[in-house]
Amino acid sequence: MTISRRNVLLGATASAALLPLAARAQAPEVVIGVIYPLSGSSAQIGVDAQKSYETALEIINKYYDFDLPLARGEGLPGLGGAKIRLVFADHQADPQKGRAEAERLITQEKVCAIIGTYQSAVAVTVSQICERYQIPFMSADNSSPSLHRRGLKFYFRAAPHDEMFSAAMFDFFDAMRKKGTRIDTLSLFHEDTIFGTDSGNAQLKLANERGYKVVADIKYRANSPSLSAEVQQLKAGNADVLMPSSYTTDGILLIKTMAELGYKPSAIVAQDAGFSEKALYDAVGDKLEGVISRGSFSLDLAAKRPMVGKINAMYKEKSGKDLNDFSSRQFMALIVMAEAINRAKSTDGDKIREALVATNIPGESTIMPWKRVKFDEMGQNNDADPVLLQYIGGKFVTIFPPQAAVAEATWPMK
Amino acid sequence: MTAQTIIQSLASGLLMGLLYGLIAVGLALIFGLMDVVNFAHGEFLMIAMYLTFFLFAFFAIDPLLAAPLVAAALFVFGAVVYLLIVRFAVRAKANTGMVQIFSTFGLAIVMRGLAQFFFTPDYRSITHSWLGGKTISIAGIYLPVPQLVGALVSIAAFGALYFFINRTDFGRALEATREDAGAVALVGIDKNKVFALGWGLGAALVGLAGAVMAMFFYIYPDVGASFALIAYVTVALGGFGSVFGAFAGGIVVGLVEASTALILPPSLKSVGIYAVYLLVVFVRPRGLFGSI
Repeated sequence: MTISRRNVLLGATASAALLPLAARAQAPEVVIGVIYPLSGSSAQIGVDAQKSYETALEIINKYYDFDLPLARGEGLPGLGGAKIRLVFADHQADPQKGRAEAERLITQEKVCAIIGTYQSAVAVTVSQICERYQIPFMSADNSSPSLHRRGLKFYFRAAPHDEMFSAAMFDFFDAMRKKGTRIDTLSLFHEDTIFGTDSGNAQLKLANERGYKVVADIKYRANSPSLSAEVQQLKAGNADVLMPSSYTTDGILLIKTMAELGYKPSAIVAQDAGFSEKALYDAVGDKLEGVISRGSFSLDLAAKRPMVGKINAMYKEKSGKDLNDFSSRQFMALIVMAEAINRAKSTDGDKIREALVATNIPGESTIMPWKRVKFDEMGQNNDADPVLLQYIGGKFVTIFPPQAAVAEATWPMK
Repeated sequence: MTAQTIIQSLASGLLMGLLYGLIAVGLALIFGLMDVVNFAHGEFLMIAMYLTFFLFAFFAIDPLLAAPLVAAALFVFGAVVYLLIVRFAVRAKANTGMVQIFSTFGLAIVMRGLAQFFFTPDYRSITHSWLGGKTISIAGIYLPVPQLVGALVSIAAFGALYFFINRTDFGRALEATREDAGAVALVGIDKNKVFALGWGLGAALVGLAGAVMAMFFYIYPDVGASFALIAYVTVALGGFGSVFGAFAGGIVVGLVEASTALILPPSLKSVGIYAVYLLVVFVRPRGLFGSI
């Protein structure tokens, strides 16, 4: 075979085309997609989430002396010190936009994993796309229990879901009852997307099982211009405990309307969401002294685990806020995902999935009050113990479970 | 269901309805004047609410005092929007309807984006105003003072508007321009001036509504969206272009919303509004007081 000029040219072109690949291999990079509402009615959540992911990214990519996976050392040692790069996408709280953005992240940005999404309704579509492309999806802060029960192989959630959260609430009620507090009737108040619906169903089921009477079960339209009709029904029911599952906007309007219509329940035990947000307490905090919310995070942990305080300070510098239930779960989601990619020693979806399945991080190496991070066959971490927090004197204190509590619950609320 | 529950629902619905009317009237006014639907109407409301908030946060001006200032500022804003954008949009040679829709729609998106950029998407609230959080209770019926004052402001604004349109020269010019914009030019009325003032007036009214709303509602860049939707229904119900149709439409929407929530689960309370709306569209397409 003679070597023609054309062959030489072809060979040269081919090696030129390969060059960038080779160059990329020398400075390896792991790209992870992060998908949040960055505009629209819950944009603030996405903006805060971005800061939280950047905090986790900094800890992974640089050296920090924390007892946290990947903190000591720079980048991912399993991939030759590869640095992680995050690509943020905006789903505007719309499941269809979420679907499109997830597809774009995978096909255009070539991400090897996706983390998101705040709204459970969006997690549904994003995780379906991930499943189709065989890319692992980590639910950082979605709490709908139906998410992990869809038989998806690439779905993982390190944090608790609403049945676990609600079970903790009812455990707490049981404990209070034993102490002689009268808790017989409950009012459920939940919004009409998957988060509120799942949460309401879980609470209704638990109430029936454990012998509490639900006097009002009100499903309302999210972002309603007015909630006076709903509050009136709550008032008419006058239950011992009001249990809202609401995002920030509706939470603010609910509390304002309750005050306007002269309704003061003896206790509010909230399913997180809006009731973990600073904006809600800025707006109506004076009416919320003693409100109880579930959470998966508590800053009280900083006393036992100093790194929690330090990481909180890092986050606060970026966002101007303390870590809350959401930002802490978002932070952990990236750590857990990166830890698995590091063990997988690959950016291949299947290999990362296998590594995630084998995850076993002890609770002490997280910033959460969890026992450990270990996924069951549906991708749910059942060892993520939730806590109940009470808003007292302008901050949250842990009141339940007893092993994590730093104070007794104030009941009834003021 | 007790009589008290029903009365309370209807009272809340009436108060809210009067506010819906005040929010919608600017839209009706502008449409009646020049057949342009302002798709940025909700964003006008949003800007007014933010303005009230900032006047409160930086200068400690109570929303009640801020209301005239906000209305004045929105008047200027509305006139400027007409002079800089809408004036050119209505002159489009081809596809005028589309150009109008897209120009105000685009304005809405720009305003929302700018608000998110400059004000951040965080939820703001005016925490301590003179009226905020106060409530009057009459025989177990609770009437929140901010909404009550809002309803009175709404009635006063409609009263003033009635006087203005029927008793002043400018009001007559407005009516004349709306009847026949070409003919008024012949008698020496500057069409552009009247349109600009009409836009200003429409924006000032929604500004007034925004100032009142800021007393009891949370404020964020997308806050206009849900109210704008109700405003469009209100205007269509009352009759496109009819200022007093907006008043009646607002009350109807408020009452229907409140009474639907008494019968159906609250998550379906908007169903009542849209059902009535559909009925009107089928039976009386020009709306209750429409003249087209």
